[in-house]
Amino acid sequence: MAENFDRDDLPRATVVPKRGTRISIVWIIPILAAVVAIGIAIQRVMSEGPTITILFTVAEGLEAGKTFVKYKDVNIGQVTAVKLSTDHSKVEVTAKIDKSAGDLMVEDARFWVVQPRVTLSGVSGLGTLLSGNYIGFELGKSKKAQRKFTGLEVPPIITGSQPGRQFMLKAENLGSLGIGSPIYYRQLQAGQVIAYDLTADGKSVQMKVFINAPYDKYVNRDTRFWNASGVDVSVGAGGVEVRTQSLVSVVAGGVAFDTPPFAVKSETAATDSVFTLHSDKTTAMKQPDAISTHYVLHFTETLRGLSVGAPVTLLGLPAGEVTDVGLTIDPATMNVRGRVEIVSFPERLVAHLGQNKAAIDKMVQASAQGRQDIMRRMVEQRGMRAQLRSGSLITGQMFVAFDFFPNAPKPKIDWSREVPELPVVPSTVSDLEAKITGIVAKLDKLPLDTISADLTKVLTTLSQTLEDASKAVNRIDSDVTPGLKTTLEGLRGTISAVDRTLTSTDATLVGRDAPAQQDLRDALQEIARAARSLRILTDFLEQHPEALIRGKSAENP
Amino acid sequence: METIACPDCDLLQRLPGLPPGGKARCPRCNRILGSQPTDSLDRALALTLTAAIVFIVANTSPLMGLSAVGRHASTTIVGGAYQMWLQGQVVTAIIVAFCAVIAPASYILFMLTVLLAMRRPPAPHWVGEMLRWADSMQPWSMSEVMMLGILVALIKIAELATVEPGIGMYGVGGLIVLFAAIMVTFHPREIWERIEWAEGSAPPRSDRGAGR
Amino acid sequence: MTSAPLTAAEAGLLSCETCALLSRPADPSEPGYCPRCGGELEWRRHHSIQYTWALVIAAAICFIPANVLPVLSSTTLGSVDSDTIMSGVVFLYTSGSWPLALIVLIASVMIPLGKLVAIAYLLITVQRGSISSSRERTRLYRMVEFIGRWSMLDVFVDTFTVALIQLQPLMFVEPGPGVLFFAAVVVLTMIAAESFDPRLIWDSPTNRERLHG
Repeated sequence: MAENFDRDDLPRATVVPKRGTRISIVWIIPILAAVVAIGIAIQRVMSEGPTITILFTVAEGLEAGKTFVKYKDVNIGQVTAVKLSTDHSKVEVTAKIDKSAGDLMVEDARFWVVQPRVTLSGVSGLGTLLSGNYIGFELGKSKKAQRKFTGLEVPPIITGSQPGRQFMLKAENLGSLGIGSPIYYRQLQAGQVIAYDLTADGKSVQMKVFINAPYDKYVNRDTRFWNASGVDVSVGAGGVEVRTQSLVSVVAGGVAFDTPPFAVKSETAATDSVFTLHSDKTTAMKQPDAISTHYVLHFTETLRGLSVGAPVTLLGLPAGEVTDVGLTIDPATMNVRGRVEIVSFPERLVAHLGQNKAAIDKMVQASAQGRQDIMRRMVEQRGMRAQLRSGSLITGQMFVAFDFFPNAPKPKIDWSREVPELPVVPSTVSDLEAKITGIVAKLDKLPLDTISADLTKVLTTLSQTLEDASKAVNRIDSDVTPGLKTTLEGLRGTISAVDRTLTSTDATLVGRDAPAQQDLRDALQEIARAARSLRILTDFLEQHPEALIRGKSAENP
Repeated sequence: METIACPDCDLLQRLPGLPPGGKARCPRCNRILGSQPTDSLDRALALTLTAAIVFIVANTSPLMGLSAVGRHASTTIVGGAYQMWLQGQVVTAIIVAFCAVIAPASYILFMLTVLLAMRRPPAPHWVGEMLRWADSMQPWSMSEVMMLGILVALIKIAELATVEPGIGMYGVGGLIVLFAAIMVTFHPREIWERIEWAEGSAPPRSDRGAGR
Repeated sequence: MTSAPLTAAEAGLLSCETCALLSRPADPSEPGYCPRCGGELEWRRHHSIQYTWALVIAAAICFIPANVLPVLSSTTLGSVDSDTIMSGVVFLYTSGSWPLALIVLIASVMIPLGKLVAIAYLLITVQRGSISSSRERTRLYRMVEFIGRWSMLDVFVDTFTVALIQLQPLMFVEPGPGVLFFAAVVVLTMIAAESFDPRLIWDSPTNRERLHG
């Protein structure tokens, strides 16, 4: 049944207005978005590693946003910007490093551009032709963090992770070595030269070498290093010997090392130990002499030709070395003398001994005092003296020789001094020189002109007289003859004597007032007198030939 | 005023107009008879804010990571436009940047301004102008076209490299969804009805047949 | 009042393009500004037919180099491969991803072409004063407006391919000159669609003359 109703009478539905400012559910969306965005941002910030700048001279193939920084072939960062430095001299590369590698950014970390390269040690980096250049990284040992670096121009020769050890070699000069020069052990390449520099005093070159494992364990404290560059030629009793390590070492220089056979088992050398770089294998392997004593010698003659390292011999066998050549001046007297310091290695001599080797060796090894005793006895009792001798007339090299001079004057040696002075004798060379100089001077001074003039006169008179005498002899044949004969005999004897005297000029001509010269004069005067009296006789006989028969009468004076 | 009967208790009653967010309940049995949706502007604002956040994330994160022969590459949206610039295509780069970044950014910015200004009535008159600008930016923000473009490029590249989508990609996807949502929830009429007229005065009554 | 539907223009009222407020013009020749939102009031979009024609023609001119010039050249280990849009489509098809080929074909070739043709058609019919199938034409206009942006697809594909494939010296990609013209086509047709006033479709020839000026 339809009822008519007035709509206005109907009740009204309750209106419930929006309660306060209730936040609609839709706001969850922006809140959620905000949370996620903040989460992403935080994660990005947290995972961000440090940003570093590297200065390179050239940034070949480095592109922002593309080039990576790699360590052990793993990306540890990426280049974000490449631009010129403020002074336009270098390229500043900014790179963002992964957080995981952030700790590696320390003071001595190294960076370089990896690109195809040809070096002494070979070709490297060819992979970058495909993958593009990247920045290589090498660990540093420091703990101090750093953000600004200067890139290396060439890759470091050794990488920090390569097993092996580093040592230092000291040499007088670099020779033909360079960075990358190989180091050989028994002709196997065991390492390389990685750096070199002048020592602080500028007198020698110090090289840093890296010996790879497992060869580094063969480097012990007695190991010797020598320069094996180029070709080693030696001429010996066996002929010519040519030695070379490898072609590389001929071209690029090389170093070899080995432990000498006489070295006792010694411990492995510590990293960074310093070794001397010898000039060749022989020098390197020379056995060092444990026992050495130093002496000093003073010479008055020239020391030219005597160099440090020249041998000291005893009776021709090696006994030591010259260690210093110099001068001493006595300020009071201005007396200048040559000073030579030598070191003696008694063991070298002992090696040459035949019998009694063991006994002498024991004495030598026993004590310094014992050695000094031996020396003293040889010097004082046996007359051992030092003398300069010429080693080679061609080069003029001299050496010091110890020899025994029994007639040498008694020495005065102070054995208590730390470096005793041993007595010397002048060298024969100078002796001969002096003598010849003296003879020449004396010969110069002789009045040879006068003597020869006199001699000529006498000889002329003599020959004349003899002629006359032979005439006379032919005419007479009587008692006068025996007298004459005797005189003639005597004359002949005198002439022989003169002859003899004249032939031995050596002893007789020395010294102006030498008795021989005086004898000669006397003899010559005698001859002159004899010749005169013979003439008088001959003249008389000519005038009074009967005198030969009758003799000299009273009436004929 | 509408006449209804409560579905639960059949009470005949009048249903008045409801304020936004308000609900009508049966006086007798308290059943909810109807509700008025809340101010749509609120929703639009929430969505626009979200869009703003997502936009920032999408443009600052890499779109994807690519690795081939040991090399890696990744790019953001701006990075893509920048590459075109570097390659000499300056005008194209500008167009791409405009369609992919500037237009959507401007749209979001203008919408935010409008929506925030509307929360404090009376809305100032420049809101209208701003809304007009937002409207003009809308056809030019081509985030979805860009998304498809990236996907096509990815598929082409995927043959020679391994590709990994990045956060940027998801961001762009989210942005597309949000833009669509904003356009759906936002009713410009709400603005026009509440806006302070350019002339300054309250909206006049409509004059029918005027002018002839 | 006639039995034909009344347009606002015929009623002497202007609808604000922004806020849809109907208002009386301040002056028939200079309508002024919308009282509510302050936007400029216009009977019809400013010089709609002229501007639209200019833009369509410009777009048509750009369309030729867009398709003839290469849009992408990829260099792999020294050998350079230049691709136009069409050759790119063909390449995608022959390399097996025909869905992609289809997408690119539609988006990069058919849509721009379609837009050009459609807008030209709309202009011609409006100028000829045709009154038939106005609804279809309006729908066409809406389609053009809606679908226009999707032709930008290839530009984005190009951009991101270039941005990612830079693996010198192994392989790298460079944009070609065609891409600029292509982007120009898309932009110009979009602006053309914006400047075309669809209300012209519904205006009677006399009104159009009066309104369009």
